[in-house]
Parts: sequence; structure tokens; C-alpha cells
Amino acid sequence: MPDEINREVRSTDAEPDPVVDSSLSGPLLIAAVVLFLTMVWALYDELFSQRPWKHYQAQFVRLYTAHLQKVGPRAAAAEKEARSSPEFQKIEQLLKKAEDSAAPKVKEIDREVDGIRRQLAAIKSPFQDVRARIAALTYELDHAAGKAARDSIRREVDEIRKRQMSVDLPADGAGAAVSAQNLSFVDLEKRFNELRTREAQLISERATVTNQARELRRTRNEYLSEHMVGLGPQQIEGLLRKMHGFRIEIKQIHIEEAGLVDRCESCHLGISEPLPLTAADMGGNRVFVSHPNRTLLTLHDPIRFGCTPCHNGNGLATASVEGAHGNYKHWLWPLFPKENSEAGCLQCHFTDRVLDQAPVLTRGRDLFELKGCVGCHRHEEFDRESDALTSIRSNIQNLEVQQKESRLEADREVQRGDTAESNDQAQQHYAKAERLRVTSSNMDARIKELDLQAKSVMQDLKKVAPNLKDVRLKLHKNWIPVWLKNPHAFRPGTKMPRFRLVDQEVRALSAFIWQSGWQGPAPAPQPKGDAAHGKELFETRGCMACHSMGEGNNRAGGEFAANLSRLGEKANYDYIVRWVHNPRDRTRPYCPYEKRDLGPEDYARHGLPFSFGLDRSTCPNDGHELQVQNMTVMPSLRLTTEEARDIATYLTSLKHDDAAYPSDVAFMDDRRLAEQGRQLTSRYGCGSCHEIAGLEDAPRIGTELTKEGSKPLEQLDFALLEQKAKAEGWYNHKGFFERKIKDPAFFDTGREKALEDRLRMPNFELSPEDSRALITFLLGSLDSPFRSEFRSIPQQFRYIPTDQQKDLQEGWWLVKKYNCMGCHTVQAGQHSVLSALPRYQDPDWKEQLPPSLVQEGARVNPEWLARFLSNPAMTEKDTSRNGVRTYLKARMPTFSFSPNEIRILVRFFEAAAGQSSPYIPSKLEPLTEPERQMARALFSSPGAPCLRCHLVGEPRHDRSATAPNFLVARERLKPAWTARWMLDPQMISPGTAMPSGLFRREDDRWVSAGPTPGIFSGYRGDHVDLLVRYMFQLTPQEQSALIQRLPATARTDRPPPDETATVAHSR
Amino acid sequence: MIALTAVAALALMPGCGGKKETTPAAGEQPAAGGEVWRPTGDEGTVTGKVSFKGQPPKFPAISMDADAVCAAKHSGPVHPEAVIANPNGTLKNVFVHVKSGLEGKTFAVPTEPVVLDQVGCLYNPHVLGIQARQDLKVVTSDNTTHNIHPLPKINREWNISQPPHADPIIRSFSRPEISVPVKCNQHPWMRAYIHVVSDPFFAVSDDQGSFEIKGLPPGNYEIEALHEHYGAQTQKVTVAPKGSASVEFSYNATQAYRAGSLRMMPALVIPCCGGGGTERGASH
Amino acid sequence: MDWAQLWEIVSLPDNVPIVALAILVPFYAWYGLRQARATDRLTVALEADPQLAKTHHRKVHPYKPGWAREVQVWPYLLRIEFLAAVIVTLVLMIWSITLNAPLEEPANPNHTMNPAKAPWYFVGLQEMLVYFDPWFAGVVLPTLIIIGLMVFPYIDTNPLGIGYYTIRQRKVALAGFGVGFVIWLLLIFIGTFIRGPGWMWFWPGQTWDHTRVIYEVNRNLPDLFGISNPVVGAILGILVIGLFYAGSGWGIHKLVTRSTLDRKIYERTSLLQYLTFQVFAITILVGLPAKMLLRLLFRIKYVLVTPWFNV
Repeated sequence: MPDEINREVRSTDAEPDPVVDSSLSGPLLIAAVVLFLTMVWALYDELFSQRPWKHYQAQFVRLYTAHLQKVGPRAAAAEKEARSSPEFQKIEQLLKKAEDSAAPKVKEIDREVDGIRRQLAAIKSPFQDVRARIAALTYELDHAAGKAARDSIRREVDEIRKRQMSVDLPADGAGAAVSAQNLSFVDLEKRFNELRTREAQLISERATVTNQARELRRTRNEYLSEHMVGLGPQQIEGLLRKMHGFRIEIKQIHIEEAGLVDRCESCHLGISEPLPLTAADMGGNRVFVSHPNRTLLTLHDPIRFGCTPCHNGNGLATASVEGAHGNYKHWLWPLFPKENSEAGCLQCHFTDRVLDQAPVLTRGRDLFELKGCVGCHRHEEFDRESDALTSIRSNIQNLEVQQKESRLEADREVQRGDTAESNDQAQQHYAKAERLRVTSSNMDARIKELDLQAKSVMQDLKKVAPNLKDVRLKLHKNWIPVWLKNPHAFRPGTKMPRFRLVDQEVRALSAFIWQSGWQGPAPAPQPKGDAAHGKELFETRGCMACHSMGEGNNRAGGEFAANLSRLGEKANYDYIVRWVHNPRDRTRPYCPYEKRDLGPEDYARHGLPFSFGLDRSTCPNDGHELQVQNMTVMPSLRLTTEEARDIATYLTSLKHDDAAYPSDVAFMDDRRLAEQGRQLTSRYGCGSCHEIAGLEDAPRIGTELTKEGSKPLEQLDFALLEQKAKAEGWYNHKGFFERKIKDPAFFDTGREKALEDRLRMPNFELSPEDSRALITFLLGSLDSPFRSEFRSIPQQFRYIPTDQQKDLQEGWWLVKKYNCMGCHTVQAGQHSVLSALPRYQDPDWKEQLPPSLVQEGARVNPEWLARFLSNPAMTEKDTSRNGVRTYLKARMPTFSFSPNEIRILVRFFEAAAGQSSPYIPSKLEPLTEPERQMARALFSSPGAPCLRCHLVGEPRHDRSATAPNFLVARERLKPAWTARWMLDPQMISPGTAMPSGLFRREDDRWVSAGPTPGIFSGYRGDHVDLLVRYMFQLTPQEQSALIQRLPATARTDRPPPDETATVAHSR
Repeated sequence: MIALTAVAALALMPGCGGKKETTPAAGEQPAAGGEVWRPTGDEGTVTGKVSFKGQPPKFPAISMDADAVCAAKHSGPVHPEAVIANPNGTLKNVFVHVKSGLEGKTFAVPTEPVVLDQVGCLYNPHVLGIQARQDLKVVTSDNTTHNIHPLPKINREWNISQPPHADPIIRSFSRPEISVPVKCNQHPWMRAYIHVVSDPFFAVSDDQGSFEIKGLPPGNYEIEALHEHYGAQTQKVTVAPKGSASVEFSYNATQAYRAGSLRMMPALVIPCCGGGGTERGASH
Repeated sequence: MDWAQLWEIVSLPDNVPIVALAILVPFYAWYGLRQARATDRLTVALEADPQLAKTHHRKVHPYKPGWAREVQVWPYLLRIEFLAAVIVTLVLMIWSITLNAPLEEPANPNHTMNPAKAPWYFVGLQEMLVYFDPWFAGVVLPTLIIIGLMVFPYIDTNPLGIGYYTIRQRKVALAGFGVGFVIWLLLIFIGTFIRGPGWMWFWPGQTWDHTRVIYEVNRNLPDLFGISNPVVGAILGILVIGLFYAGSGWGIHKLVTRSTLDRKIYERTSLLQYLTFQVFAITILVGLPAKMLLRLLFRIKYVLVTPWFNV
């Protein structure tokens, strides 16, 4: 005991030493045990708690296997069904026959091959052994030094080559007979090569023999896979096997170039399974369902795209669900909520106006444009026109500066030249001056061009809401304050939002609006029209594609434009007549340069008549482009003045009987009120949707929303509700948007604010679905890495549409801008607004629907389309009709598109139909006389009753016609399409009035399905082709000749039926 | 489920002119899944009459002179078949079917087709019932070209030309849908109504205005009568085992045209068939 | 009142050390003092008996008769250290299993967090910035503190109480260090639990509200007396500071020379040592809290304002 040394003899009573006499074994033991336990805990944590996906995967394997075993038999049954079909049996038999026929030859070949194989096997090893040795020796030989050494090796080699060795060869052919033979290497080599070649021959032979059978087998399998819905039993077997050999491990998609690692599939194992899996299939676990939208998945193959680029969330995290979904404070890209998942599309498709795979998102964008959000909130994609205009203007300015500069420079050069020492230098200077002059003149041209552009853009520039400069001409004075107070009370669902105005504000605003309106003389009073006829027109001309009529449940028609149920209470008849006749007809032109409307005086000053229009659109004072149209998307329906009167009469007759309006509106002429009103107007940003005198270029009052979805939460003003939001779990973008849209004043709750500091955003009264759509759009409006160029995402992962893709994209913006889909079917499967109206449910009215534009690009000649779009009447005189389908009650309006827009639209349709541009018409064989005869015969035969429905330009006949005139075909149609159309129109536009099955296949050609006129005897040509050619070479004379041939009764003179009964009602 | 997908597949097949569409082994695979109902022997019958009060509306005669062939087929003026009142004060062409009471049952699809003929540019019958996925056989007895153009809202629309003496067109409707109008674009006056139902228990009132639904399993049913012009009526009925029940429907000429009935808008009056005689009502 | 949020803050993984501090420091302080008291009692007892005092106390650390005067490192020291090692490992493991590293989103210069706080061991310094001129709080004071710690051995002339716990024999040192340590902890706690968004003062249970607005004006001492002239102001400042130093110097002196033992020790120290001690003691142990109180209670920003530095 070492410490006994310095220890004194201790008196018995002395107390024990705290260090020496105490033991630590107890604490040590406890500590050790606890440490061990912690160790175990650590291991468990490492293996399980930190790896929840292991559990998921095990579960998945269990459930999926079970499911597969359940569906397996069904698949088998389905296959049985498919196998039992006659077609299949036929192939099966053929296959059998082929196999049988090939069998003997095959057998024989196989036998021989077998023999050869055995021989080869016998030879192989000795042969290869010797060959190897020789190779080795040869190497030595090459590297040996000195003749002696070489010779000795040579000798050795030869010796080996010659040496006999006994090989026991099986007799070729069948039988196990084996004969030992002595062969030298040379013989072996020879034999070996022979056998090899022979084998090759035989095998190729075999292939040729069995070829037919193989083909049949392939067709059989194809047939099966085609005629089986869902997976076949084999495939299911395969899946089962896969599950059997399933390895529990992290499943990850790694795309190095994009720096993307997604491990989502470690838990979402069913997502890309070939078998569609529902939660029910997988025992109610939503985590295992397969992707709900296969199409999307095929478009964006996860292997190339990963998951998080669309869905957000933390692709790397595997430790917890929250973590992986990124639903925690520090992850900036949390998973999009299920109901807003389409927001993800905007990561790349931010310039796509319409995405057919993302209806909710598209709806959101529609609303953003429709409800006029764009008015106050900038969103990059939505200010195409205004952005274009600004850029053009700035370009012009720059050019002008440059031009001036280069002119001066040129002059300077000339001077330098004049004062140069030597002639050469002078020449150089002069040359330079020349160049500069040329450039500046080029700039002239460019500027002119830009001016034109500017003109186009100004023509395309539209406002969401009506022009308030005409307020005095258009509106009832006492209606305005009522409307301002709460538009939704007067017209539920209107675009005009409800501003939270106190009465004083209402009065001030109305006063200002009223006084800012043009005070000029009212338009000439119009005589009343026929309301009943007006109603008829309103319902049939196509107005209801945009406008809705009726209130509550009776409401029918489009939401694109206002509901006119109570128009009579607000508007002046005279003005409505003018408006209906041509909405673009502007009272006074606006000069964006002088920032005021011009009047006759301005024109008079320059001795000009006060007349303006798209053709006379320059400012008399300074030659700048004027705004000569009302900035509305409403087109001119080319109605006659009478028709306009009728409609106006009808519309203005619509009012509530109990409608009462304040009679005392004297305050609206109060100057001081108006002054307050002006401030309010700019405060509430009225100018951003309406055209108001003095507020034409009022700035936007809302925040830009282009990247709202990725704005830091702290920058969204939750105000006093922040703690509440955090506590209740809606402290996130979605929560903010939801509440803001539902009640824009929400985040003022509890705050003491002066009137002018309150939140300004008005209330749009959106339906839950609509606000969901809008929120989806906002959530998707991200500062996406795929968006901005400087980000690390490589080019190939970006979505940068080119050529036709781009044309499509551009086009959609216009299709939506002008609501083409109100009348037309533009996408297959989309239903126009009109087609949903009760009237058009009637079989006869259905034929009155405007044509479907699916495949329009394939149908019509682009040049024609351009002409048509610029003037749908296809004529200058008598424009009050359709250009092509004169029988339609609905009318293709004149939108007075700018050249730009026409170009875009034409390109759009061409692209949508995948047509190559420019279009080069194919040359058609001219008809021979007999052919013409035959065509005529066929045209007027009961077998091919073309003329029963198609217009021929003969009034009596045309009254019952429901299809265009053949005379237009030549310019309008593309021959290839026409042929396709005649063969099976139902394929191209299902439900069209033109029947299918007019022709039947006769060996290699199409012939009329009906009885063909005798004249055709011996004609071997294709009837469709004949008709197409005839159609494209049809002349008016020819047509009249045709009509003469029509069955007599079709032309018998009858007393014309009483016109009043018909709807085709024209005065 | 397989069957459902099969139906979907059927719906996907392009409407190729003339030839029969392949229905997935009609009969053995019920559309709604579950067991196919088999008669047990104690089925009952529902009989009834559709009485009609008042003067039927006068429709202007159809002028068929757009197509000589049609006109030739008829001696006197032809009137639209919208309302055909039988002399015994009953209404013809009223479609009667079981509206409710058969839920959850699925019925085998009959293999023999329902025939729709075209005689003198009129459909015969004017109103017909058919079971979903049962074959519809369209034949023509006219010497002119027709096209058969059903305008369903749920089922797929098709429109096929049928020249004189052509083979019958055989098609089928995959889904139940009440009142599918059928028209011929070349003879706009031609109109038939096909009622696609999911069970075999339906009938159309005849010249006596009476109808009979046979083989109805015992139970409580809601029977619905549909008329293209006077709309729908329903009645409750109980069928006892092996028993027979009778239902009486009565339409009134003066009764207001009801929303939700078959024709939603006044027909577009087309001159060719608008003029002509407007005298006597269409009662033959 | 928002205790939920307080809990949120307390339970933050980042704040674990501070919470631990709040428990461990008092405990060990108490534990050490307890031992010290025991030793003191022992020494008193030994002193009572001159014989024992000679053998068991003077020149050696006090031990009872019957105790080993010295023990071997092995096993007596090492076993304890081993136990300590095991326990520490234990603690670290449990800590690392239960709490993940508090990682946050990638730093974004356009969007800084509020409040932005230093790691717990620097929060004290950060908090000091509130009370002093940055240059003073960020550079001078820390340096002084470090130097102060460094010079301890050289100004401490007390031969007693080396190698064992005692209060009696080391009152001054103990008190001095104690005060400094407490101040430091205090700063950390204020910085962590009291300072909210905008480094504003939130009492525990008060909600940390980003939008909170408060009205407080901090004035310099001269302004208090309405002195606008900087020179006069500076003179005043220097005067006050001088007085403060003199006053607290005198006070400390009184404390240091209370008991006879203390006086003995005091007599052993040289003037230089004593002055150094005084300077550090006044500046850090008295000056720091004094300035804090001035600021918190009387809203006084600076006492001495010069173009070069402020105090």
C-alpha cells in the first residue's frame, strides 16, 4: 500500500479519509451501464428513427405484392378474353402453320449444328492450347537477340506445329460414336475454321427458315398488348418478381448537371409504377399512390426532371416527412399544397398563357387578366402591349439620338476631309462620311418601322374597364354613386370590385368621374327599335359568348364581359346604339404625346376635317400616333344600324321594376368635391382599369406580383395578425393570399388607421374555386431558378420554346385576350360558351354553332386566314354578314386586329395543327372534260348529296343550307385537308353536320359509297381526289350549271314561307 | 374494373364508318361491375296507359320537296311526329321506363339489336328505347342518301352517311342517357329520340296509348314517362312477386311546356319545312 | 403575456448551453462554497491547536489527523477523472441524439434575420455594445478583461488558499472574480432572453413583436445639464469619471482592508500591484455595471463625449 507511507497511525476515533477511504465503484457502475444503454439507443436512432423510409419501403413491398396478387387473375382473365377473339385465333393459326412448315428443315439444321458443336468442343481445347503456346513462342522470337537464338525458337515452333496429337473426335452428325484421331496443329486449325463457317451458315439458314413464324409471333404479341387494357399477366409477374427482389435502400434521382438530388421515391414508391395505384389499392396509404396524371409524368419523365423542380420540397431530406416536404421554417421552397400543386408548372411555363395539363393554373391566369388584377399589379407576362410600347418608344429615342450623332459626325468627317493634308486621307474621310450618311438613312427606315410597330401596339392596347370619358353620354347620372357604393349589389359577379368607400368618398368620386367626362353634345337621338327582334339578335348573333343575361339561376352566357340584365337602369339608349353598332368608335382621339383628347378645334387649326380612324391615326399637331379606338376588346359585329337599334332597345328595356335611385345628385357638379375625387381616383387607382381624362398614364398602385410567391414571409404584412397566424398555422404565403383575397382589408384588423392609410385593395368577391385558382397562380409566381438566366440551371433543363412552340405560346395570349373560346372550340375537348347555352342544345340549333377551330391551321390557307381575320365579311360592300358561313345566325365579328396580332393568330393556328410554314399550295391536276362531267354527276347524284347542305349562292336553295359554298374552297382550303375531311369528317371534328362514310375503300382507291352515276363506268381514278380537284377548280358558271342539274323539286317555285317565323330576320 | 376500362377503351375507338364497333364480349361483362341479374321466375309486370286530354297542337306540314324521293313516298301532307294523339284519347310515342328502384342491379346486355328504320324520310320508330351497349341497327328503306346523326350529351356523337341500299349501320351507346335526339342533316325534319337505359325494363306507348313492361323483379319502383313535347311524369308503383301493377299517366294538351323536358328551345324554323299547310292537327 | 413564446426561445437548440449554464453554474458555485466552508471550519479547528496547526496546516493544505497527507494520482485522481469523462461522453451522446444541429436557410444578404444574435458566448459582448461606444465595448473592454485575467497571478500576493477551497483566506479574490463572472452571465442572459427584435428590451412573457414601436431617448450626460459646448461637456465628463474612479477606488480600498487577515495580505502587496488591481477592479467590476445602470435607469448614452471616443 503506497499511501500507507505518509499515513499516520490513526487514532481509532479519527474519521475516515474522504479520498482514500471512499469507493467510486457504485457511480462508475451506474455511469457505465447508462453509457452502454445510450450506445444502444444511438444505434437504434441511427438505424431506424433517422431512416423512416425503411419502414415505408417494407410496408410498400407488402401492400404492393398483395395488390398484384389480387389483380393478377383479372389480368389473366382479360388476356383470355383477348386471346379468345377471332383475330387473335387467326394469327395463332397462321403462326402454327408457319411453324409446322418450317419444323422439318429446322430439325435437320439443329441436328447438324449440334454435331458441329460437339466436334468443335472436342477440338477446341487442344487447338487453343497449342495456339497459345505458339503465340508465346512467336513473341519470344520477335524479341530474341542473335540469329542462333532465333533459329532455335523457329525450329521449336515448326516442331510444335507439326507435332501430331491424338484428339478423340465424335463422328459428325448424331450418335455418341467417338473416334480418336491423330492431327497436327495445322489440320486442327483448318478443321476448326471449316466447322466455324459451316455453323455460321446453318444458323443464318435457320433464321431465314423461321423468319415468317417469328414475324407472326411478333404481330401476335403486339395484338395482345394492343387489345389488353392494363397490364398482362406476364408484366404483373415481372412486377411481383421485382417486389420479391426489392432492396431496401434510398431511391434517388440524381441529375448532376442540374445539381438535383431527389430522394422522394424512397417513400413514394408507387409514383411511377406501371400499374395505376390508388390509396384504396394500397390499404389507404396515400404515400404509395401512383402519380395521378400519367400524361404529365410522360411529358416530364422523372428520370430527367426529378420531383422537386415541379413540386418543391426538400428532395434531399429523408429523416422525416416534414423535412422531406420542406414544411419547416428554414426551407424556402416548401411543397406546394395538394390543391395548388399546379403552381409548380410556373417554374418553367411562366410565359405559357394556357397549359392544358394545368386547368386550375390556367383559370388563375384567366382571372388575373379578366378581373383586372393586371391593372394595379404588374406581372411580367401580362403587360405585353404596354411593355412593348415602352421599349419601342425608348428604341425610337435612342435611334434619334444616334442618328443626330452620326449626322454631325458625318459633317465633321467632311470638314476633316476638306482640310486633310494628302488626297488619300481626304478620300478616307469622305468615305467615312458616306458610310455615316448611309447608316443614318438606315436609321430613318428603322424609325419609320418602329413607328408602325407603335401604331400596332397602340391598337392592341386594351383597358379592362370602360372608357369613363364618355361617362356623360353613356350613363345615368344618379346611377353612378349607387354603383360605386357596391357594384356587386347591382351586378353580382361583375369585374368591378367593391372598394370600401365611405359615403363622402363615393360622392367625391362620382363628382369627379362625372365632371371629368367629356361635356360635348350628346349623340344624335336614335329612333326606338324592335325589342323582341333585338332579343332574338342578342341571343343568336353570339353576344352571349361573352356577355351573360339573367340573374341568379337564370343567368346564362359568358363571364368574359358584363352581365347585361339591368342595363336599362344605367345606360342611355342613344349611346348603347352607337356602342352596339361599333364599340371601337371613339368620341375623340387621344394623343399620348400631349396627354389629352383632341377635338375638332385641333384639326381645324390645321385646316383638317375632324375625322380620325385606323387609317388617319396621326396627331394633326405633332404627327404622333393617336389612340383612335376605344380601348375595349369588344369587337364590331357589323350590325346594321337597325339591328343595333333593336338590340339597344332590348337591352335598355332590361331593368328591375323596383329599381330606385337617388334623385338629388346635384353634388356631382360640385367642383370642390371633384377635387377630392381626383385625389381619391389616383389613390384607388381607377385609372389603371378605366380610361379617365387626366389619368391616362396613372402609375400602378399595387405591388408587382411577378415573384410574389417567393417573397420573404417577413415582407408580407401580416400586421397585428402575425402571432395569430403563427399560432393557427397559416403563417405562410398561402395563408396570406387566401385571407387577403377573401377580405382585402383583413390585415387592417385591429389597427388604428386614418381613412387614407387603409389598405386599398378592393374586394372581388371571388368564389372559393376562383380564389384557389388565383392562389395557385400566385404561389407559382416564383423567382424560379429556371426563370432568370444567371442561375445555375443549365440551358437544356430550361423550357425555352422556339418556332412553333413559341407561335403557340404567343397565340394563346390573343385567343384568351379576345375570348375566341367563347364561340369556337380551339382545343379538342374544350366546349365553347355558346355550345353550353340552352338554345344550342336543340339539334337544329347545334348546327348554328360557330365552327370548331381544332386543326384550323391544317384546314385553311394561311394567306386566306389572314385576310379573313382582318375582315370576316370577306367583302367591302354589304359587310353585315359572315364571309363564309352566311347561313350562321352567330356572326364572326370584326376585331380590327393589328397586323401584329393577325400574324400571331395565323401562326398560332398553323402551329397548333403542326403545319409547316410558309404554306406552299400543292399543284392540282386540271380536270379533263370527261372528269368534269363525272364530277358534276357525282356532285348532284343522290349518292353524294353535297349540294343538299352546302351553299350554292342561289337564295331559295341556300335558305336551308348549313355548309359553306364550294366557291370559297379554292382560296380558303388546303386540298390535302379537304380530302381527309371528305373521307371522315367525324374524325376531324366530332359531331359536325357533315356525315362520315360517304366513300368506301375499293382496293387501292376511294369510291363513292352511294350509287355512282353510270358515266363512271371504267373510271379507275380516286373519287375523292376527283371531287377535290373539281372543287378547287369550281367556277361560278360551273356551279350554276350544277344547280341546273339538281333534282327538279329542289328548285320548284313555292310561295316563300312566312318570313316572320324564321329567325334569319333581316330588313 | 376491367369492364369499366373496357368501356373506356370502346369509347376511345375512332368511329370508323359503317362497320360494327367491337363491344367487349357483350352480355357476360356488366358495365357497372358486380353480379349480373338473372330472372328468378317470380318477376311481375307493369302495364299502363297514357291518356291525353285536349286538342293536340297543330304543326305545319313538313315540305319535303327538298328531296323528291321523300315527297314521292307520301301521298298526303306529312306532319312532324312531335305529338301524336291516338283517336282513343291517348298519347303515342311516350317512353316509359323505371326511373329508380333497380339501383345496384346490373343486367345482361341483349345480343339482338334494336332496329331503327328510315321510311319516307321519317324515322321508324320515332321513339325507341335501348339498353346501354346493346346494338342499334340502322336500316334504310329510302332510295335517297340519309345520314344518321345522334346528338347525345354523355355518349359519343357520331354522324354516318347511309346511301340507298347500303348495309345497315350497327352501333351502340356505351352509357345510359335519356332522350338522345337523332337527326338527318340532309332532311332536317327527320327526328327520332333514342332513350339509352341501363336495364331492359322500358316500353313505348303504342297506337292505343298503352304500354307494358315485363319481367320486372318484385319491388318498389318509380316509373317515369317521357314525352318529347309534354315532358316527364313519374309515378310510384309496387310490383308483387308474379304480380302485375298498372300505372296511368295523363298528359294535357294545355299543360304548360315544362323546363327540363326534352326540347329546350323552340325549334329553329328552317324555311324549307316551315311553310306549307298549317291547318288540321296532327292526329292520325 | 406570451409564455409559449418564452418557452420557444428557451427550448431552442441554440440556447441549450445557456439553459444548462443557468442550472450548472449556481450548483457548482454552491458546491464549491460548501467545500470551502468545510475547509474554513477545519482550518479554524486546526488553528485552535498550535501543535496541529504546525503539522497539519501551515505550509500544507489543511487535513485532519488520520487523513492521508498526500495520495497517489493513480488510482485516486484518475478514477475520478475517468468517471467525469464517462459522464461527459454520456451527456454529449444524449444531446447529439436528441437535438439536431440548428441549421437555417442559406444566408440572404437582402433579407437579414431580426434579431440577429451572436453565438451564446459572444452575446455578452454584443449586449455590451448597447451600453458603450462600439470601439470601447468591442475592443477596449474585452482586451482589458483578458489582460486582467492574465495579470491575476502577478498581483495576487496571498500565499494562502492555494490548492484547496476556502473563502476565509481569499475573500478579495473570490469577491472580485465572483462579481465579474456574474456580470458576464447577466449580459449573456439579457442578450439571449430579454433582447427581442430590433434588440429591444422585452420582459419575459412579453411577445417579441417585429412591429413593436417604443419611445425612448438616450441623452449624453452633458445634455442632461444643458451643456451644449463640447469642450465644457468633455471637461464635465472627465470630472465625473475622475470622481467615479476616486470614489469607487476608495470604496474598494475599504473593502480590501476590512479584516486583519485582509490587511496582512494588503501589506504584502507592492504599490504597483495594488494600483493595477484597483484599475482593473474599478473599470471592469464597478465601471461596467455602473454604466449599464446609467443607461438602463437614466437613459444616459455617454458620460464623456469626445471627437475621438465616447465613454
